[in-house]
Formats: sequence, structure tokens, C-alpha cells
Amino acid sequence: MTNLRIPFSLILLLWLLPLQPVSSQTPPAHAIINSTIHHADGSETESGSIVWRDGIIASIGRADSIEIPFDARIIDGGDSLHVYPGLVDGLALWGSPERSGPPERVDNPGEPGYERAGIQPDRLPSKLIQSSDEVFSNALKQGYTTALIGLEGYMLPGQTEIFFLHDNDTKSQIYREKIGFLFQFEPAPGGWGNRAYPTTTMGVMARFRQLLYDAEALMQHLDYYSESEPGMPVPQRDEVLEALFPILNQEKEIFFAADSKEDIERYLRLHDEFDLNSVIVSGGEAYRVSEELLERDIPVLASFNLPDPPEWYSTLREEGESEVPEVSGPEEERYRKRQLNSWLDRVKNIRSLLDAGVHVGFASNGLSLDDIQEKTNFLLDEGEITAGELLTIMTSSTSSILGISTHTGALREGMIANFSLWTNPTNEEEARILKTVSNGTIIQF
Amino acid sequence: MTANYRQYSLFSTLFLAFFTLCSGTVSLSAQDGGSLLLRNATVIPVTGDDLPDTDIMIVDGLIQAIGQNLAAPEDIEVIDASDKYIMPGIVDAHSHLNSIGVNESSHPVTPEVTMAESIDPNSVAIYRALAGGVTTINLMHGSANVIGGRNVTLKLRYGRSQYDMIMEGAPQTVKFALGENPTRVHGQDSGVQPRTRMGVEQVIREYFDAAIDYRSKRDDYLAMKREYDQNPDGIPPVPVPENLRLEVILDILDGNIIVHAHSYRADEIFMLTRIFSDYGITGYTFQHANEAFKVAPELREAGAHASIFSDWWAYKFEVYYSTAYSATILNENEVVTSIHSDSNELIRHLNLEAAKSMRYGGTSENDAIRMITLNPAKQLGIDDRVGSLEIGKEGDLSVWSGHPLSIYSVNELTVIDGNIYFDRSSDPDDMRIRVSPSVDYHETEYSESIQDHHFRINSGLNQHQIEE
Repeated sequence: MTNLRIPFSLILLLWLLPLQPVSSQTPPAHAIINSTIHHADGSETESGSIVWRDGIIASIGRADSIEIPFDARIIDGGDSLHVYPGLVDGLALWGSPERSGPPERVDNPGEPGYERAGIQPDRLPSKLIQSSDEVFSNALKQGYTTALIGLEGYMLPGQTEIFFLHDNDTKSQIYREKIGFLFQFEPAPGGWGNRAYPTTTMGVMARFRQLLYDAEALMQHLDYYSESEPGMPVPQRDEVLEALFPILNQEKEIFFAADSKEDIERYLRLHDEFDLNSVIVSGGEAYRVSEELLERDIPVLASFNLPDPPEWYSTLREEGESEVPEVSGPEEERYRKRQLNSWLDRVKNIRSLLDAGVHVGFASNGLSLDDIQEKTNFLLDEGEITAGELLTIMTSSTSSILGISTHTGALREGMIANFSLWTNPTNEEEARILKTVSNGTIIQF
Repeated sequence: MTANYRQYSLFSTLFLAFFTLCSGTVSLSAQDGGSLLLRNATVIPVTGDDLPDTDIMIVDGLIQAIGQNLAAPEDIEVIDASDKYIMPGIVDAHSHLNSIGVNESSHPVTPEVTMAESIDPNSVAIYRALAGGVTTINLMHGSANVIGGRNVTLKLRYGRSQYDMIMEGAPQTVKFALGENPTRVHGQDSGVQPRTRMGVEQVIREYFDAAIDYRSKRDDYLAMKREYDQNPDGIPPVPVPENLRLEVILDILDGNIIVHAHSYRADEIFMLTRIFSDYGITGYTFQHANEAFKVAPELREAGAHASIFSDWWAYKFEVYYSTAYSATILNENEVVTSIHSDSNELIRHLNLEAAKSMRYGGTSENDAIRMITLNPAKQLGIDDRVGSLEIGKEGDLSVWSGHPLSIYSVNELTVIDGNIYFDRSSDPDDMRIRVSPSVDYHETEYSESIQDHHFRINSGLNQHQIEE
């Protein structure tokens, strides 16, 4: 019996060994079949199927042209479900620690430390975001799969990094680290009694310049020191300035967040002065400087943070003309026209930018998911944006601006499996999300 | 403006031009000068006697001819200004008319900031100033800092972008501040130098010396760097970073930036002349300078100018002592003197502020007009371009119903670079560039002022009674 036991064990082992690599290297495939596939460019594939394995789309197309692997776990759409590419947020503040409370009074307001001044380009979302923030699961429920995440703060609140969304562990789902820097005309916190430099927009601009001058000198010092004979003084290391080296080397983008025409114009001065790689975030009035942006090939990650429409206009839309308060005279009548045009100009910001040839993507930039949905209706109803264009903006265009369009942002073979499954087209009121697939992981709702 | 004032109404032209500019559909550069022929006015050139029944022709933004019965080129807009007075556009050497932020107050020395990056081109206050005949302002940094931010000279091209408002090629100026403001903000509030007027002097000298020291070190570094980069042998130089704050101070020391110093007391005014004498700085202007009249001969000797209120003082301790004769005394002592506003209200009637120098001190009409035209232009270093009506100068002027120093006269037309920016005969009821979509008519400041106006008319109450 003893002699027989060994060969049997060996046989068993030999039988199992070939299976081991198969199961570890080839996780099972998944497939959604017989569904309408909505592509990032606005086109559709009726009765389509999509197969993915190990986080990558293996095949996609009309169901009759797709071979479903034998090991695939299949979801049958029954020709009534809809697949959309995963939405990409070009700059989200999701999971960011909030700005700290009332700032401390500093002994010398003219020379506060970096942190007190809001200069924190060394901060990384991958170290600081809170994965437990329910915004991640809520975003997944709305079809988002990918986001460039930045941190809340002031002038230079930190770097930006790309994550795939996960309902409880987004932090570990980092896709691209240290993509760029968030920059905004946000003076150091504090009022008159606890102010700190910089307290104004012009101060922020001057401080930004000085930071880059200082970083340039330190970079030069480090460079010289690395090749120097003994005798050169040791450079004094500075994490903040060293974090800025990629800006000087034009290796990283500046994501400049602003809405007003004037602030964007002010930033363009810095862009030109330092030959920056720039992306405008939010850009509520970017349409008013579209020529300048196009000339410099600067894209816009537009926020949907639109102002509320005039109250009388909302009443008109919702309750009809008879409910709108009458004007007090011709002056008010003229005012209403200007008011409405002013609102429509903002609502048509993206349309105007697209028509001008500016590359436009999307960024929530602090706008809540609920607000995004509400404002999206304005874009579709009065912003002269079609549902197809909106999908493009929120997927492939944003991916392209973030430099990841070869891997995600569209539904094609070889792309990362980022998409969502819906009961109806998403512009229909009864549309309900069933699943989101983020980096191949299925999140069921 | 009477109905026969012009050959044809400018209303549609002005209205369309304004809203076209606002809508951004046409992008005009700042240099786009207009052409106009104004006929038969009494012209006040400032540099000479008044010229009755005289025409002024502006072509492409520049004054091309001044004389009688000028031949009108084809297609030029002709305006009949019979019975009117034409004076140079008013220049305000001290204004905070339209900025998004005035004071980088956190440090006693902040010349690295510039008001060129703090312009609000949309403020309706610009239009109100135009209505007072103002064409150029010195948009100033605040007075919280001993050495404050750089100012910017603007032409009030309302409807243009912030950068199109900047008077291209105008010299840069910078704000200094002496006395209570910097000592209170930094010494009392923050416990940093300066706490006293002695400290103010010391801060200026320290930073001047630091800038000189910096230049030496930076120049040495750049020279050694060039040498090392060409021949990398031996020990490389330790980099000296470019320092924006000290670079600007060097420009002040080199005479490339004109100083405008907020000041009140004679002793501190004299103190700054001593410092500037030590460092070779010339051509500067004291702002407010309520006690400058006490040291007028010294100012003349130093070549310093004064830009003052006509008759406003006693709003804080250091401004306790002054006199409405100040402008006249300074002027009689040959100090280049201007009357400024420092106020969005005063800027609308600087003509009357200037006239007070006649009322109080007997200053001549011409000198009074100079105080709001050519003299402030000199203080800003732009007197070769604006401030008087002369051939070759820029077409900035205003047309008045009577003599501009009369309390009964009103400005009827304001022209900058030959373009009309204010026309009383076709003054729309709402000249704001921006209207907030979310603010309804009855919530706006504009409608409130209209309602107040109606209330006053209807109730017969004056403003004082309403406020009570």
C-alpha cells in the first residue's frame, strides 16, 4: 500500500500542475450580450456584445460577430439594456480632506510657511484621499469609472492623480500618479486679523513667479552639485520647491481652476511667461477667451457649475407665461433680456468653445453629483449640446485631455474595461443603472 | 446737449459700439484710434490761451489739426460743438476706481505685485468717471505697505478687456506709504517693523540696500554661470535666485519706475526727500500730502511733485492739519501739483475740485485746469502724450456745456483715442457690462438707485432727509 501511495500522489500532482497556471493567469471572462452599446463618439451598436477579461476589453461589436469564450460569465441584455463607456471626471475633489478650519495667526504675516500660505505642491491624493467617502460609490452609481483627483486647498493645494473608482478602496486603484498640479487664484486663508501672504490675486501671481524662480535656482544648484568637484556648498533641500521641478521641465500639466474671463486672462500671462503646459478647469467664461486658448492649444475641462437661471425665466419654463410677474416698465424689460442673455451665454459656454475648436472635456471640480445631473439638463435643453456630444465630452474628450485616451475613455478592443449598464438610455427619465464595471471590476447596484 | 449739437445723432453708433465691445464679437486692440472733427468750440489747450471758435480734428486716435474752418476729410464724423468748451481728458493721478484687490497688505514691502493684474474692466464706476470727463487714471495699490505694489496707468476704455485698458507704453509707477497706515497695519497689528515713522524710514533704506546687495550677488552669479557653462571646470557658482521684489526695487533705484508716495505730514515728506536724495531717486510724487505746502520750497528744490485733495482732511489724526489753500501754495512755489480723487465719487467732478483752488487761493483758470490734466500727466510720465490739446497728442478730450470750471457746466462728451466713450445725449439707462443671471431687476443696485430717484421726485424729499 505504501508503495502505491507515492505514485498516486505524484500522478495527482502532475494532473493538477498544468491547471494551476491556467487558473492564475487567465481569470474568467465576462460578457454582456444583446445590449445596445453607446460609444463615446455618440454612435450606437444595436444588439451588441462586449467581452472583457482581466480588466481589458477582449472583443466588442454586434452580438452575431462576437465569439463568447467558454468560460465567460454572461449577462444577457435581452436587447433592452444599454452599455455606456465609463464617465471620466477631469478633475474631481472626491475624498479630499476638507480645508482646515480657521487659520492660525502667524507671527509674521508677510512670511508664513508654505502650508499656511496654501503652497502644498508636494501633497498627493494617493496619500490623502479618504476611500471611505461615499462619493465614490455614488459616482459609480452614476456611471463614473475614472477620475483625475485633486485636493481641496488654496493656491497650490497639491498634485493630481488618476484613479479608477472603487466603492471602498479607490485609494489603491491609482492608475497614473503625479499627473500635474492644481493651481488657483486662492489667497492664503484668513481675514484682516489673521492674514498671511498672499492675500490677493496679484499676490498669488507674484508668489507663483517667485516659487518658480526659487525652484529654478535650487534645481540648478542640485544639478551643479551632482557634477561638481568637492568644495561646492551642499544645496539646502526643499520638498516644496523640488515638487515644482516638473513644471520647470515642462513634464507636468498645470490644471488652473477659474471661471471668469479676467482670471483666465491673468493666468495666460503666467502661461506665456513660463511656457507652461496648461489645462483650464471649470472655465465658466472660457468662451470669452476661446481665441486665446485655441492659439495656445489649451484645453478646457469644463464644469457644469452653471448659474441659476433668472427666477422669472424658471417660472416661465415651469408654470407658463401667465405666472410670470409683469415687468414694471421698459427698463425692467430690457434688464430681463440682458439677464437671460447673460445666463444663456454661460449655458452655451461649451457649445461656443466646441464651435471655436477648443478641446473640451469635463470636470466636476467640487460640484456635487446631484448638481451635475441637474445642470446637465440645462446643457441639453438650452446649451445646444446633444446627448451624444455630452457623452463624448464626459468620456473620450476628457481622457484625451488627461493623456489616457489610448487606454480608456472609449469602448474598443484592448481598452480598459470601464463602462456601465443601464435599463434605458441615460437621457430617459426611467433610466436606472444596474452595474458599473471599473477597471474590469463589476460593481452591482 | 442740444438737438443741433451734431450733424447726426451718435446714439446708435455709441450704443451699438458699446454692446458690440461687451459681447466680445469684435476684438479691438488698444491702439485702434478713431477719427473725429469737432467744430466751433472754445478749445482749452492748457499749454496756451483758450482758442475761441476752433476746430479739433482727430485722425486715427491722434490730434491732427487744431484751427478754424478745418477741411473735413471724407467719412470723418463731424460734431458741431458751437457754444461748447473742449478741454483735455481729465487725468486722475490717484484712483482705486476698478480693481479686484487693492492692498497686498500682508508684508511691509510688496512691489512684486502689480495692479496690472488686479484690474476690473467691468466696473460701472468707469462709466461714471467717463461721465465726469476723466480719460486716464493711475490705478493705485493701497497704502498698507511702506513700499507697496506697482500701480498701472489706465485709459478708461470702457467695454474693452482689462489689458486693453492699460495705457500702452506708459511708465510704470509704484506706491509707497508713510505714516499711520503702514505703522498701524504692520507695527501695531502684526508686531513687525515698522512700528514708528523712524521704522518706515529704516524699512525703505534696508530694502534699498538689500536690492543693491542683491544686484551685486546676482550679477556675479550670472557672470560666473555663463563662464562655468562654457567651460565647466572647477567649482560651479552657487545659484542666486531671481528675486522679483528686489528686482522691482532696483528698477525704482534706476529711475525706471516712478514713485508715488502716500504721505501727509511735512516731516515725513521731507524725510522721504532725504532718502531719495541719498539714493539718487528723482521725479517722484507725494500723494495726499496735506502738509506738503509747509515744505513747498524744499519740494521744488528736490523736483518732487504733489498730488492732493482739494479740501479734504481731518479724517484721521495725521491728517488733522491742512488747508484749502494747499494747491495754490504749492502751485505758486512751482511744485507740479495735481488734484486727485482717491474716490469713485470725487472722480466724477474733478473739474469742481480743481475750481476750488481758484475759489480759495485765487489760482488762475489755466493753472486750475492744469491740476487735473497736464500736471497729473507729468506725474505719471505721460505728458508727452496726453494732458493738453496739441497736435500729435492722443485724442483724449471732453466737451462741456460751458466752461468746465463753472459749477453750472456739465460734461457732454468724453473721447479717448478719438473714440467716444461717453455721450450725454445718448446715455443708455443701463451701462453695466455684466448683468448677473441670478439677480433679478428689483434686487440690483441699479434699480435701487432708480427707485430712490423716483421716490425723491415723488416725495419731494432730499437725500439727507431720506437717509435720516
